[in-house]
Amino acid sequence: MEKHSGYMQALRCRECGREYPLTATHVCEFDFGPLEVVYDYNRIKKSLTREVIQSRPKSMWRYRELLPVANGPTIGLEVGFTPLIKADRLAKRLGVREVWIKNDAVNYPTLSFKDRVVSVALSRARELGFDTVACASTGNLANSVAANAAAAGLKAYVFIPTDLESGKIINSLIYGANVIGIKGHYDEVNRLCAEIAGKFDWAFVNVNMRPYYAEGSKSMGYEIVEQLNWKVPKHTVVCMASGSLLTKIHKSYQEFIQLGLAPGTDYKIHGAQATGCSPISTAQKAGLDFFKPVKPDTIAKSLAIGTPADGFYALKVMKDTGGAAEDVSDDELRESIRLLAETEGIFAETAGGVTVGVARKLIASGAIPEEDSLVLCITGNGLKTLDAVSGHVGQPREIRPSLREFEALVAAEARPIKA
Amino acid sequence: MAARTQKAKPVRRTRPVAPTRRRLWLMYPPRLIREPLIWRLSGKFHIVTNIRQASVTDEIGIVCLELQGGQADVKASIHWLEKQGVNVEPVEISVVES
Repeated sequence: MEKHSGYMQALRCRECGREYPLTATHVCEFDFGPLEVVYDYNRIKKSLTREVIQSRPKSMWRYRELLPVANGPTIGLEVGFTPLIKADRLAKRLGVREVWIKNDAVNYPTLSFKDRVVSVALSRARELGFDTVACASTGNLANSVAANAAAAGLKAYVFIPTDLESGKIINSLIYGANVIGIKGHYDEVNRLCAEIAGKFDWAFVNVNMRPYYAEGSKSMGYEIVEQLNWKVPKHTVVCMASGSLLTKIHKSYQEFIQLGLAPGTDYKIHGAQATGCSPISTAQKAGLDFFKPVKPDTIAKSLAIGTPADGFYALKVMKDTGGAAEDVSDDELRESIRLLAETEGIFAETAGGVTVGVARKLIASGAIPEEDSLVLCITGNGLKTLDAVSGHVGQPREIRPSLREFEALVAAEARPIKA
Repeated sequence: MAARTQKAKPVRRTRPVAPTRRRLWLMYPPRLIREPLIWRLSGKFHIVTNIRQASVTDEIGIVCLELQGGQADVKASIHWLEKQGVNVEPVEISVVES
């Protein structure tokens, strides 16, 4: 046990409330409920002020007292503080007063919000004495673990299903990680990885390090509030895979209000899924507080979790805040990727298309009133999911190297179309 | 008279197998909710079952179960449950993330 644990107090079971020491463990031994980090908010309140935060470098670690490391970050010091962009052209197209885009498509170093959770998990892993880190992933998480481990000099094992696209495999191999392909169905791969995590004394970022790892998502919420001049937005739309990001955005808003860093206000957090994998949004729309597992079938691979670990808690957050949930088809999400790109110059991955598409539906249905303001959380970069939009964005027009031909093309386009 | 000592027959030893422990979520579809599957599982395989949480509604049955036994028995138990139509996940659920 460490002598010094920073502002953390314990790990606590989200089901029964039993407390555990701050080690690499993730479920309650009594009821197997998930564990969550508990902080000493009284101490944090004395040292964390707006002025202190603003005096620090622009990264997610400017809120370090609220992140689960004992001695400060050592990995991913540049991660976070991504742009919050006022998206007027998109707002006009969506028919709402004000839209802000929180753009983690440009997060450092691997262009997704996973860099936040991984930098926390790896910093904590190093504090706990691990020299090897691991994860099982089909994309963004693998890239981030491989890159951040390489920069920190940690040994990394990345487990992937064998049928993954080559581009995604290269994005992890390039960093020198041990990439292991597992043959078999998703369920078998999932169970084997849980077994490996239990057997080897490694820091498995989303298994035994999960209580710390998940807390990294809160930094996205802190940044949104600070960038909105210390105001919690009225509406936030968040895509849901496991549902963890949505619950942590809520926790970040609650913490800032509790610490007096933002004034208390009513806010709604809305959840977005792809129709082909929508266990949480289906349950929310049916008014249920539990979800039924599904077999994913969508191009939004980064959201394709049929049995979401935090689904129950995400449903509770939406219910408590008065938020709604919706889902969009693959065609609708592709169209929304284009809409975001054409209006704001932001190329988001498929999950971003889901978020924009769902926001459009929630505005149309009145769940988000048109006179309100909303924040859309964009979690990854479109360059990672080119296959999803390939064949749906048109073709370049070809001409011979002739100025006359180009002028003819421009003139043809300028000609008014006859009714 | 000296006691007759009988040379003990060599006992065929099997290599000791460390018991495997799996922590699982079982999700029952409505048609299986009334079936005593865990009781049948204990009868079919040489395993110890230990329920830690359970929740039953008209829509779904959810059981948090610890299974302990030889690796082959545990593996076969999971396979049998899935064959019956139960969704079986490790307690961590989504270990493979995007």
